[in-house]
Amino acid sequence: MPSLSPSVRKSITLIYHFAERESKSRYKRSVLGWFWSFLNPLVTVGVYWFVFGAIYGAAPPETSNHNAESFGLYLFTGLIIWTLFTGMVDGSMEWLSSVSDLRKKIYFPTETALLGGAASNLVQSSLEVVVLLVIMAALSNIGWTLVFLPVAMALALGFGLGLGFIVSVLNARYRDVKYLVGIVLNVAFFAVPIVYTPELIKRDDLPVPEIARILVEWNPVSLFIEISRDAVYFLQVPLWNRFLAALAWSVATFSIGWVFFRRQSMSISEEP
Amino acid sequence: MTIGAISVDAVSKRFRLERNRPSSLKEAILRMGRTRDTDEFWVLQDINLDIGAGSFFGLIGHNGSGKSTLLRLMAGIHRPTLGSVEATGRLSALLELGTGFHPDLTGRENVYLNGAMLGIARRQMTASMNDIIEFSGIGDFVDEPVKIYSSGMYVRLGFAVAVNVEPDILLIDEVMAVGDEEFQRRCLKHMDMLRDNGTTIVLVSHNTDLMTECHQVGWLDHGRLLKVGAPDDVVSAYLANVDATDNTLNTRNI
Repeated sequence: MPSLSPSVRKSITLIYHFAERESKSRYKRSVLGWFWSFLNPLVTVGVYWFVFGAIYGAAPPETSNHNAESFGLYLFTGLIIWTLFTGMVDGSMEWLSSVSDLRKKIYFPTETALLGGAASNLVQSSLEVVVLLVIMAALSNIGWTLVFLPVAMALALGFGLGLGFIVSVLNARYRDVKYLVGIVLNVAFFAVPIVYTPELIKRDDLPVPEIARILVEWNPVSLFIEISRDAVYFLQVPLWNRFLAALAWSVATFSIGWVFFRRQSMSISEEP
Repeated sequence: MTIGAISVDAVSKRFRLERNRPSSLKEAILRMGRTRDTDEFWVLQDINLDIGAGSFFGLIGHNGSGKSTLLRLMAGIHRPTLGSVEATGRLSALLELGTGFHPDLTGRENVYLNGAMLGIARRQMTASMNDIIEFSGIGDFVDEPVKIYSSGMYVRLGFAVAVNVEPDILLIDEVMAVGDEEFQRRCLKHMDMLRDNGTTIVLVSHNTDLMTECHQVGWLDHGRLLKVGAPDDVVSAYLANVDATDNTLNTRNI
């Protein structure tokens, strides 16, 4: 990499290092190793499918070719994006606190720890995507719209990491921030149409206030999930206004988070 | 600026000590609107210092005079409150026990991590790994997590990494005292070698014998740089000051 400046090269080396460390430590002491990374999402999907699909009888939304109309697959698609998003927010706090002692003794650009962790998380999500795509291919539910899936993932990553930049700095200052974030994410899970379809909340016979409908439909994570479902499940081009809203959310949040982090992260070495 | 040079320009550093600082968001919200109980103190005041590339610079001063803070500013760990610090080139720093080591990682992993922080690729670190292990003399412990290391092992490995990465600038903060006599001698020999190769070395030490080997010595007192110059002059001025203080204490005791 001769054309890159030394500081950029240093950052890339560090990002790679932190990504590798995160990936290794994730399943280090387990015999089954990376197998867990497949088992965990599959079990989660299995449980949600059983509860909401089998017990409550949620019907899978219709697709144009009817090849992969399964509530389990519909769930799985949304869950991949959700896991990617929450992994960024939760992970950021952990990644920063794991290097904060180190940062008091040696200088390095702190954001590399978060970017490295994010890269490791992205690899994890990509493995889940591989599982999903293998199933979709077996059911011959594959089309060119798949190109929107990496886009949806990138948008979710940018949004999640942008929030992560902010909450990780706050968490370094106030140690109860991570509990608060945990609670908010738990609530947010149900504000996003993962275990239910967005059509459900639009039905007139349900006593849902208008504000809740707008919130569910236009919150950024819902947008990312809808785009990914268009890409993989419905095989249709995402609505352009949804796409633009998602893009705006992601770019704005990432930028604000980045600037905030860069401004505040120097003071981490002075935290008691 | 020449690689290896350090320039400290009108630098002041303020630390804030906040009493009853809210450590949780809950407390912070509950205490909103109340005035905060903050103590400010200036650890360093208006420091001007130019250390040329390839020179061997010593810093002396009593405990709490700001020596360590000045090194930390040079290392980029803290940002000066006023003024600016510039240090160009590959900077390697040994600032306290376990410098830049992550307790859960093994010695070997930490060596790679340290290398990465200096911008050295894994491949290159692998090449110098044997030298580092040999220099540190910690043997098979290199594959154990560093949290089980003794303080001597910590310093040995830290020093081994710091001097084996071909630094342009080496900052050392009174850490060698932890190693045994034999290791200290090895460190000094290695430092001489680095100095001869043109590495800029800044050393904080209370060992006045060591100071006489420097090209230049600076004396810090209560955050101010009182004197910079030839080792003998500065060290004797410092010692005279220490003696004077000592005498006042003795007089009081009588």
